[in-house]
Amino acid sequence: MESNKKYWKGLEELNKTPDFVENNKNEFAEPLPIEDVLSEAGLSTVTPRRDFLKALGFGLGAVTLAACQKAPVHKSIPYLVRPEEVVPGIPNYYVSTYKGNSVKVKTVVGRPIKIEANQNSGTFNRGTDAQAQASVLDLYDVSKLKSPLLKKDETTWADLDKFVKAELNKVQASGKKIRVVASSLNSPSAKAVIADFTAKYPTAKLVQYDSISYTGIIKANENSFGKAVLPKYNFEKADLIVSFAADFLGTWISGEEFTAQYTSNRDYKSLEKKKMSRHFQFEAGMSLTGTNADTRIALKLSEEGPALIALYNAITGASLSGAGLPDNTNADKAIKLVAKELLQNKGKALVVAGSNDVSVQTLVNAINVAIGSYGTTIDLDNACKRYEGNDAEFALLVDEMNRGEVGAVFFLNSNPAYDAINNKAFTEGLAKVALKVSFADREDETADLSDVVAITPNYLEAWGDANTYEGYYSIVQPTINPVFNSRQAEQSLLIWSDAPVQDYYEYVRNYWEKNILPSAGKTWKDVLQTGVITTSARAAGSYGFTLSLDAVAAAIVASSKTLKKDIELQVYESIPMRDGKQANNAFLQELPDPVSKVTWDNYVALNPRQAEKLGYKEFDVVSIKAENGYSVDLPVLFQPGQAMGTASVALGYGRTKAGKAGNNVGKNAFPFVTYTNGTLKYATTATLSATGAWEELAQTQTHYSFEGRNIVREATFKDFLKDPAAGSGNHHKHKVYDLWTTDKHEMLGNNWVMAIDLNACTGCGSCIVACNVENNIPVVGKDEVRRRREMHWLRIDRYYSFNDEKTGHNVTEEKEIAHMDNLDNVSVVHQPMLCQHCDHAPCETVCPVLATVHSSDGLNHMAYNRCVGTRYCANNCPYKVRRFNWFNYWNDSRFDNYLNNEFTQLVLNPDVTTRSRGVMEKCSMCIQRIQAGKLSAKLEKRALKDGDIKMACQEACSANAIIFGDKNDPNSEVSKALRSERTYYVLEEINVEPGIGYMTKIRNIDSETKEVHA
Amino acid sequence: MSGHNESILREPLITGKDITYAQITEEILSPVENKPNKAWWIGFILALCGATLWVVSVGYTFWFGIGSWGLNKTVGWAWDITGFVWWVGIGHAGTLISAVLLLFRQNWRNSINRSAEAMTIFAVICAATYVVSHMGRPWLAYWVLPLPNQFGSLWVNFNSPLVWDMFAISTYFSVSLLFWYTGLLPDIATIRDRATGVRKKIYTIFSFGWTGSVKTWQRFEAVSLILAGISTPLVLSVHTIVSMDFATSVIPGWHTTIFPPYFVAGAIFSGFAMVLTLLLVVRKVLGLENYITMFHIESMNKIIILTGSIVGVAYLTEFFIAWYSGSQYEQYAFINRATGPYWWAYWMMMTCNVISPQLLWFKKVRTSIAATWILSIVVNIGMWFERFVIIVTSLHRDYLPSSWTMFYPTWVDVGVFVGSIGVFFTLFLLFLRVLPSIAIAEVKMILKSASEQSKMKLIKEGHLDKEHVAEYIESLEKFDSVKQEEYAKI
Repeated sequence: MESNKKYWKGLEELNKTPDFVENNKNEFAEPLPIEDVLSEAGLSTVTPRRDFLKALGFGLGAVTLAACQKAPVHKSIPYLVRPEEVVPGIPNYYVSTYKGNSVKVKTVVGRPIKIEANQNSGTFNRGTDAQAQASVLDLYDVSKLKSPLLKKDETTWADLDKFVKAELNKVQASGKKIRVVASSLNSPSAKAVIADFTAKYPTAKLVQYDSISYTGIIKANENSFGKAVLPKYNFEKADLIVSFAADFLGTWISGEEFTAQYTSNRDYKSLEKKKMSRHFQFEAGMSLTGTNADTRIALKLSEEGPALIALYNAITGASLSGAGLPDNTNADKAIKLVAKELLQNKGKALVVAGSNDVSVQTLVNAINVAIGSYGTTIDLDNACKRYEGNDAEFALLVDEMNRGEVGAVFFLNSNPAYDAINNKAFTEGLAKVALKVSFADREDETADLSDVVAITPNYLEAWGDANTYEGYYSIVQPTINPVFNSRQAEQSLLIWSDAPVQDYYEYVRNYWEKNILPSAGKTWKDVLQTGVITTSARAAGSYGFTLSLDAVAAAIVASSKTLKKDIELQVYESIPMRDGKQANNAFLQELPDPVSKVTWDNYVALNPRQAEKLGYKEFDVVSIKAENGYSVDLPVLFQPGQAMGTASVALGYGRTKAGKAGNNVGKNAFPFVTYTNGTLKYATTATLSATGAWEELAQTQTHYSFEGRNIVREATFKDFLKDPAAGSGNHHKHKVYDLWTTDKHEMLGNNWVMAIDLNACTGCGSCIVACNVENNIPVVGKDEVRRRREMHWLRIDRYYSFNDEKTGHNVTEEKEIAHMDNLDNVSVVHQPMLCQHCDHAPCETVCPVLATVHSSDGLNHMAYNRCVGTRYCANNCPYKVRRFNWFNYWNDSRFDNYLNNEFTQLVLNPDVTTRSRGVMEKCSMCIQRIQAGKLSAKLEKRALKDGDIKMACQEACSANAIIFGDKNDPNSEVSKALRSERTYYVLEEINVEPGIGYMTKIRNIDSETKEVHA
Repeated sequence: MSGHNESILREPLITGKDITYAQITEEILSPVENKPNKAWWIGFILALCGATLWVVSVGYTFWFGIGSWGLNKTVGWAWDITGFVWWVGIGHAGTLISAVLLLFRQNWRNSINRSAEAMTIFAVICAATYVVSHMGRPWLAYWVLPLPNQFGSLWVNFNSPLVWDMFAISTYFSVSLLFWYTGLLPDIATIRDRATGVRKKIYTIFSFGWTGSVKTWQRFEAVSLILAGISTPLVLSVHTIVSMDFATSVIPGWHTTIFPPYFVAGAIFSGFAMVLTLLLVVRKVLGLENYITMFHIESMNKIIILTGSIVGVAYLTEFFIAWYSGSQYEQYAFINRATGPYWWAYWMMMTCNVISPQLLWFKKVRTSIAATWILSIVVNIGMWFERFVIIVTSLHRDYLPSSWTMFYPTWVDVGVFVGSIGVFFTLFLLFLRVLPSIAIAEVKMILKSASEQSKMKLIKEGHLDKEHVAEYIESLEKFDSVKQEEYAKI
C-alpha cells in the first residue's frame, strides 16, 4: 500500500550495498560470540581466587551496610472498601455547632481540619470567632486522656459503669443529694438526658453556673418584666449604641453575632448608603469594643453606677439620688450628650451594660424602656439561651457540699476547681462528697479532684444539639470517630440511669423527631444538611417598666461606694483566652490580644500616667492584692485609655492542669471575682506593690503610634457625607513615574486582589487564627514571640492616636505623646496587614534564586523549596509581612508543647505544605483555595464566578471587612470596593503597586462629641 | 656643574646601614626558616581559640538554625551582614596597594603589598564564610551560582544584588589569590633554594619551576602588570556592588545613590587601618623595621585621613539629602540614627570614623607608632559600627511603625564575629610562618644602598673630583633630605 511508508535504517539499506544485503540475511547483523564463550577456552576461564574474594567481600560489605539503614516502616492500611464520599484530596463539609454557634466543618480524608461559618445558619452566617477557628486543634490535643480514669487509674467503661452505678445506688439509699454541675447547657437533648437521670435518681438536680456570669441580666429581667431570660439584642437596628463596659464586639454574650450586626451599620455597604451608626462606650479597661467606639469615655468602675443614674435622670427627668460624677467632668458632659441623642433616637437606640449586678441591669432596663428599645433593638420574646447560669445556685451547692449533704456530684463541661470564686470552700466541700465524677477530656483541675474521669469526646466527635435562641435549633454532628476511648457525658448518664435508649445518637434523633422537627416541618436529613432548624419567631413585644427605682439606685450607690478606692480592679474576659477552657490551645495562646497585642500571658493593665505616678515602669512585676486577700504577681502593661485609678486583669489564665501548652501561662484571676447580692461581681478593689522583678510580656507589636504617617487614613462621618473621598488622599494624586513601563506584568486571566474596610474591621483576630489553621502556620511560643518571631502571615496592626484637649490636634508621634498629661482620650485603629501582593514587588527583585516571583494572576508567589534563606526579601519588604522559619518549628523538641507531635499534626491542611527551617514564608492569598475554586469551576465547565473563591481570613470575618476577588472582573465585589472613593493603598507613594486596597476609617464624631473631652 | 647628572636620590625606602641583598633574604626569611618565637605562639594560641569559637558558633547555627542568632521578623540581617561588609571592606587595601599603587609606580608599596594581599585574601575568606553561614539553608548555597542544573530550567535572578555580590566577591577572591601567588613565585623559589628535605620538596612544587632566568623575570613582570590592570577596576567594583545590596532596596536609609563611592572610600579607609594594625605588630615582632618604615606608616596615615574625610562628607551628605528629599520616611530614618534607640552606635561611628582620624593631621600623631596603632583599631571599630548603623538602624524602624522592633545579639552572633577574627588571625599567623611576609624580590628592587655603597667606595678611593663630590653631597641634602654624616667625614 502506498500509505505504508518505508523508513530506512540507514543509507546502506537504501542503497542496498552488498555488505548490507549479506548481513541482513542473518538475524543478528554481527555474529554473536556465543561460540567463543561456550568454547573450551571460554568455559575454562578461571576467576582468580583473589577476585572472587574481593567480589564476595565487597558484596557482603555492601549488603551489610545497606541493611544497617533502618528503613522506617509506616503502616498504612488502605480502605478495603472506600467510603463513597471520601476521596483523597477532596474535602467534605459537615454542619455542626460550636458553643451554640452553627458552623461548617471541613474534613479531609476523615480528618476535621477547619471550621467555617455555616451559610445556612442565618444568625451565624457571617463568620466565626477565634475560638471556633482554633477548636479543631482541641481535637488533636495530646494532653487529653486516652481512656477513662477510676481513682486515677486507667479503666474500662464496664468497670467504670459498675463503680458509678454502685456508688449512685449507695447515695440514693442514703438519700443524699446528687448534683450535676454544668456550664449553661443550651442543648435540649442533654437537658432531656438530665431530666431522665433525675427521674431515676430523684435527689439529682442540674446546677448551671457560668464562670462568666450573666445572672445579673437574667434576674433584672425577671424583676423588671417577669422573664428570667437573656434578651436577644439587635444591634443592626440601633443607630445609636451606648455601652457601659459591655464588650459586645468581643466577649459579651455573643460577640461574633453582634459584630456582624454592628458592622452592618458601619461597613462600606452601609456607608455607600450614607448610613453609619454612632457608638459611645463608657468603660474602665480598654476593651475591643472600646477601641471601635466613636467616642470612648474612661470611666472608673465606681463611676459606672452614678453615670447610669445620671443618664436615667437626664432621659426621664427623674431625680434619682446618687447621680453625680464630680470627679469625671468628661463623663458628666458625655452623659448629657448621650441622653440628648438617645431621646432623639427613640426606638433606634440601645443601651447595654456589662455589669453582672442586678440593680445596674434593672436600671439599664428602665433606660431602655424609656428610649423604646424593647420590641426594636431588644427582643425579650425570642430569648437568648446561651447563658442560663445561676450564681446563687452554685453558691448554694458549695454550701451544701460543705454541710455534707451532697452524695454525688457530676461535672459537665465545667471546671469549678479552676474558675469557682471561692476555691478553698469548693475544694473542701468537694472532699466531703462520696462520688465525684468529672466529664472532662483531660485531667483538669476538677477532674484531678474527682474519683471518676469519664472522658468525653471533642464536639467534633460527638452528637448533640443546641438551642441558642428560642425557636433556633442547631445540630452537633460528629465529623470523625472518637479518637480516644471516650464516651459522651450524655451517653454515660443514660447508661447510669438505665435508660431504654442508651445510644446518644438515637436519643438525639428521637428527641428531634419528637419535639423539634414536626413543628418546623423538616426531616432529620434536612437538619443534618443545613444544621439549623428555626421555628417561626415570635413578634418582639415592647415592655413597660413599673418597678420603683429608688431602692435600685440606693443599691447602686452603695456598691459604688465600696468600689471607690485608690485602685479599682476590673477582671475581664480576654479575647483570645475567654474563660480559660481552651487554655491548652496553642493557636489561641499565640493570638495577640487585639488591644494590647500581648500573647501567652495576662498582666495588670494600668494607665501609663497612673503607673508613672505609682513609680512603675512597663513590665515591672507588681503584686496585686484584692480586698478579699487574694494576690498574684503580674507584669504591668501600659494601656492608654485605661481609666485612671483602675487596673484590669484578664481571666482565663493561670491554668495548672490544662495541658502542656496552657499550664502556668499567666496567673489565675478568677479568685478576684466576688459574690455579692446573689451575683458574681467582676469589679473589686485592690492594692499594688512592687516586687522588684521585671518580666517582658511577649507582644507582637511594640510601637503603638503611627508617627503621623499616612498609612492610616481616616475621616469623620460628617466630612465623609460631604465628600466620600475625605481623608483618603485621593484628591491629591501625584504623577506616577514608572521604571517598568515596558515590562508590565500582563494579567490576562484573573488579577486577584483584596479590599479591606478599616471601618468594618473590629480587630477581633479571628482571621489570624483562621489563617493559622488554613495555612499550617507554626506556633512558636512565648520566648520566640518575645524575640519578635511570631509566624502569623496576617496580623492586625493597632495604632493609638491621642487627642490633645488643649490644641484639639490629633497627636500621633511617640515623642509628643510622651509629653501629654492625659492619655485617656485615645483613638484606635485596627489595620489588618498581610502580603500586599505588589505588582512591583521589592521582594521579587532581590531574591538571588528566584524563590519569590510574580504570577500571571497578580499574586506574589513563594517557592519554599527554592528558598535558600538569605532573608533579603523580608528586609526589603516595606510592609514587613514576610516570616522566616528561624527553627524547624515542626520538628524541634524545643517546640514540643505546641504543634510538634504526630497526633497534633493531624490538624494540618494537606493542601498546604509545612515549611522547613531556613525558609521564608508569607501570605499566599490562600493559593490552594484559588486553585480549588478554579478546578471546581473547570469540572463544572463554567467560568469562575465572583464569590466562588474565598480567603480563609475573609470567611472567618464576621465584620465583612475583607473582600477578595478578581480585579479583571469590573462587576466583582472587590472591583466595586476598590473603586470606592474611600479606597487608598498603604505606602502607595513608593509605587510598589500593592494589590490590597484599604478603605478609610470613618469616625462618627462631631464638634459635640469632641466637646466631651475638651 | 661638570656634566655629571646624578639622579635624584630620595629618602631610602629601606633604612638601615649597609644592607645587602643577602641580608634582606636572611632577615625576611628568618621567621619562615626558624622555629617560631614566643610572641608568635601566644598570638597563634589566642587566634586558634578564636577560630575554635567560630567553629562552635557556626556549627551551633548550622545545627539549630539561624534562630540561634538574635534576628527577628523586622531585622533580618544584623551582625552577619555587618561582619560580611566589614571583612570585604578590610579586604580592599590589599588590592589597592598591590594593583593601583603598582600602576602608579608607588614603589613604597613593595614593602607592604605581600602582607596586605594576604590580609585581603584572609579577609575575603572571612567575608565568604558569612555569605554561606547567614543563609537559612546553607547546604543549598550553591544555588546562587548560575550552574546548569536538573531542577527544571531554574536559573539565578540576575536582578538580585546578591547574585552580583556572588560574582563580585568570587572574581575578587580569584584575582587577588592569583596576583598574590604570582608575586610569591620568586620568593618561594628563594625558600626552595635554601631549604632541604621535605620542605624543599614542598616549596619545589609550589615554586612552579621558577628558574630566575631573564625570560622568567620578563614574564613575571608582564603578568604582574596585566593582573594589576585587571585588579584595579575590582577595587572599585567590589564594594560598589556590595553597597548595591542596600542602595537598590526600598528601605529608607538603604535606598541611597551615594552608597557606591561612599562604600569604596570606607573600604579603603578600613583596609588601610587593618594593614596598619597588622604590620605595626609584625614589623616589631619580626624585626622588619628597616623594611616597613616610618615613611610607610605616614603614607598610610595620609590615605586614612583622606578616605576618612570622604566618609565623613558622605555621612553629612546623607543627612542633607534626607532633609532635602522631603520624604518623611527618609527623614525619620536619619533622625532615628542619630537620636533613636541606637544613637550610641551612630555616635560611636561618627567619633571613630570622622572625628578621631582628624588627629592624623598632626605630624606628631601621624609618626607616632603607638598613636597610629590605636587609631587604626579605632577606625576598625568605627567601620564595624558604620555597617551596623546602616543595616540595623535602617531595618529596625522602617515604614510601618507596627513592625518597629529592637535587635539584641545572642552569644552565637558574637561568637561568629569574634570567631571570624580568630580565623583571620590564625590564617595570617600561619602565613607568617610559611611564606615571606615581605616580597623579597620586590624590596630588593628598591634597595638603593647598592649604588650608594659603590659611590661611597669611589669617593673614598678618590676616583671622583671634589666638585662632583660636593655637588653630590649637596643634592643629597637638598633633594632627599638625607643627612649624610658619613660623607661629611670624607
